Amino acid sequence: MTRKSENPIFLERERYRRRRLMDGARLSPVLAAFLFLLPLMWGASEQVPTASVLIFLFGAWAALIVLTAILSRRLRNATRENWQERP
Amino acid sequence: MGMVNVLISVSLAYVFFLFMVAFFADRAAARGRSKWLQSPLIYTLSLSIYCTAWTFYGAVGYAARSGVEFLTIYLGPSIVMIGWWLILRKLVRIGRSQRVTSIADLISSRFGKSNSLAVVVTVIAVVGTTPYIALQLQSVTLALDAFAGDAVSQSVGASATSLWLAVGLALFTVLFGTRNLDANERHDGVVMAIAVEAVVKLVALVSVGLFVIWGIGGGVGPVLERISQSDIARWDVSSGRWMGLMFLSAAALLTLPRMFQVMVVENEDERHLATASWAFPAYLILMSLFVVPIAVIGLEYMPAGANPDLFVLTLPLAEGKNTLAMLSFLGGFSSATSMVIVAAIALSTMVSNHIVMPIWLSAQGSTAMVAGDVRHVVLLSRRLSIMGVLTLGYLYHHTTGGGEALASIGLISFAGVAQTLPALMGGIFWRGATRVGALLGMVVGFVLWAYTLFMPSFGAEVFMSQAFLENGPYGITWLRPQALFGIASDDPVIHSIVWSMSLNTITFFVFSLLSFPTPLERLQGAQFVNVFDHSARPGGWSRGLAEAEDLLVMAQRILGPAEAQALFRTEAVSQGITGYLPETTPEFLQRLEREMAGSVGAATAHAMIGQILGRASVTVEDLMAVADETAQIMEYSNQLEAKSAELIRTARQLRAANEKLTQMSVQKDAFLSQISHELRTPMTSIRAFSEILREGGLDDAALAKYAGIIHDEAIRLTRLLDDLLDLSVLENGQVSLNEKEGRIGEVLNQAVAAAGTENSRLRIVRSRVREDWVIYTDLDRLSQVFINLISNALKYCDTHRPRLEISVRDLDEAIAIDFIDNGSGIPAASQDVIFEKFSRAGSDQAAGGAGLGLAICKEIMNRLGGTVSYLPGQGGAAFRVLLPKTVLRSGRIS
Repeated sequence: MTRKSENPIFLERERYRRRRLMDGARLSPVLAAFLFLLPLMWGASEQVPTASVLIFLFGAWAALIVLTAILSRRLRNATRENWQERP
Repeated sequence: MGMVNVLISVSLAYVFFLFMVAFFADRAAARGRSKWLQSPLIYTLSLSIYCTAWTFYGAVGYAARSGVEFLTIYLGPSIVMIGWWLILRKLVRIGRSQRVTSIADLISSRFGKSNSLAVVVTVIAVVGTTPYIALQLQSVTLALDAFAGDAVSQSVGASATSLWLAVGLALFTVLFGTRNLDANERHDGVVMAIAVEAVVKLVALVSVGLFVIWGIGGGVGPVLERISQSDIARWDVSSGRWMGLMFLSAAALLTLPRMFQVMVVENEDERHLATASWAFPAYLILMSLFVVPIAVIGLEYMPAGANPDLFVLTLPLAEGKNTLAMLSFLGGFSSATSMVIVAAIALSTMVSNHIVMPIWLSAQGSTAMVAGDVRHVVLLSRRLSIMGVLTLGYLYHHTTGGGEALASIGLISFAGVAQTLPALMGGIFWRGATRVGALLGMVVGFVLWAYTLFMPSFGAEVFMSQAFLENGPYGITWLRPQALFGIASDDPVIHSIVWSMSLNTITFFVFSLLSFPTPLERLQGAQFVNVFDHSARPGGWSRGLAEAEDLLVMAQRILGPAEAQALFRTEAVSQGITGYLPETTPEFLQRLEREMAGSVGAATAHAMIGQILGRASVTVEDLMAVADETAQIMEYSNQLEAKSAELIRTARQLRAANEKLTQMSVQKDAFLSQISHELRTPMTSIRAFSEILREGGLDDAALAKYAGIIHDEAIRLTRLLDDLLDLSVLENGQVSLNEKEGRIGEVLNQAVAAAGTENSRLRIVRSRVREDWVIYTDLDRLSQVFINLISNALKYCDTHRPRLEISVRDLDEAIAIDFIDNGSGIPAASQDVIFEKFSRAGSDQAAGGAGLGLAICKEIMNRLGGTVSYLPGQGGAAFRVLLPKTVLRSGRIS
């Protein structure tokens, strides 16, 4: 592959990645809601100790925070030209 | 009592420290050295006013009573923050581009800058926040009591403590929240103080948590063991409550006036949101990590009757850790004060902009141009509003008696402010949302909330009697406040949320679908929903009516003289005008309105400019007028173009006429010399020969010859004079026609014979079949025209084999008789003038006559109802005689 034909593909890929990044940012609250509502399923089946629910919720919460941190950092860098600063 | 004194001194010192932080932050911001003030970290920490004293004290109490359920209050906001790309980013962008000052301002601005909508949102916000402020007062009072062992309450009374607290908070808020009327509505000092308080409360809670886990509980493992053996060991929550509270807290993060204030209004940079999206949930997770351990250990260690809301404070106290307890108290104090300060600022902005200022302005009379600075009025109204808000909070606290658990008060507040959620979300995502829908939806939701949750929360006999609560109004059971429509629920909060939010949303949608928005609403709707597509300003004011001077007078009152003059001057300079009064273009009006909106809110700013313009809003007529104006300008320009083209045409005609006149003048001069020459030549011969005759002595032959010459010359003179006379008669219309019937061919025969072509070299080509038309006209005059044209060819055709073609054609309207020779023709320059009098093409010598022939022809043809014209492009000189068909008689004779 020559250098010349590499460039457009590289750009397209960049833009494609950025779009999927936005999709990820849009869908992450859905994932969060799903994870946070999941413990409701357990209540019906059997007696679940509070401690395990707490560990699950805090674990999911922390994982979501890490995910959001990665996504938002990338989004911030990828869409640099779109940001507005207050004058 | 000594303990209390230490506590009060420490609190005062802490407050003084906050004062200094706020003061120096304000100063640094004023000097422009606010780079570190505007970091994402400060922004994230300022968002932590979500965690109030409710979190600090109430969460533990909540956990002790209901287990893990307390987490919903933090999980909901976390979901919203994680989904920042969807909602918060849009809100912040809108807040920035529309210069929004509060949530009431945003909603009113979206729905056509309607002040009535802003008033409704303001009322909801004030009523919804009042329990929350009461909650803060209550928590600090409880904490003080816990510290002093009821000593404070006994010495000055419980109400007095909260009263003094309210007064102190009001003072702090007034001092830092309303120091200046910032155009951007930002409070750098306050935000900085809040960030410091956020750190204090986090450190305090984490310290207590660490102490409880490792100091009392003996490590993570044993604490988890204790959790499993405690009263809240079982995971047992109602699904409805879990989901409902998560929704409610998520909605509260978006709609709480104080959250809107720090998140949208005080936002410095949209990028901060990207950081806050994960940093704020991280803050929340830290704040809630130790809640369950503290609750469990508290339940285990504290006596049975102890208030679980105060475990954070009483556990270290009971263990003798007074310093830790002090830190814990300061954490709770920080939580309470930061919330109250920001809430008071946000509410006072709304109350002042949307309730006090409109009333004050209308009380001032019909004009917005009264002299004087209006800023002190705005500031005063804000300060009074702050005091009013805190007074309301104190009254709520006083009325309810402070008996309820902290958590339930907080939920009442959340459910109240959440009533603005449908209008807010609909407003920024749905262009079809209308003012009517938003207004009715919010009113329905608010009324239902007040009826089912807020008023019953005061307990029986304050707003509603016991019988009313149990049996409904007038015994109508399906209107019971806590079992609406006969559907009883054991959970009043969920009951209220379900009914108020669902009916609010349904009303909002149905009336949005049914009503029709005003033009301004539609403009704003497009601006809000598509804020990322175009950050252009909405169109609005049309030019002309606003006087720049009146606007300056008004702007000075609101923005301050220096700022207003600078604004006007900049605009004037950009328009290329010297002085302070720019043209009141729509763009300038838009900008001015935006600037003023930063101080008094969009609705008021719009109304004030509207007053000066003589109307309050943009109507369809205005928009059409703007469109008309454009259309008119375009039409005018088209007319100008047409006129200009016409002028060019006229000028061309005039130039042609002038050229013709000049040429004719030259010809006239030439003719005069020619005619004098023509007259003089025969006259000279006649005179000379008649003198010879008079002297006598001539023979007969000479006599006869000289007399013949004199006679010929006299005839020539006569002919010349005849021609002139003939022309003059024709021109004056005095000629009488002698009309007869005849054939064109015969007239031509006669003319060819009379022109004397037999002896010449000129060959005449005719098509006699076509000449077979019978006409009724003056044949002699027509013949005269033909003779003239034929003799012209005879005279001027300059080839070796001259040839004249005479053809008769049948045109639709007329009969054309063409005379075309094969000579060099008439130069284009002369074609225009050959039919004029005294005109002669070519040199004088070749012309045997005085140049009257064609002029006479033209006059004759005019008289006969036809024309004679030059026919260019036929290879030689070509003349066309047109006879109208009216002269035809009964077709052709075969």
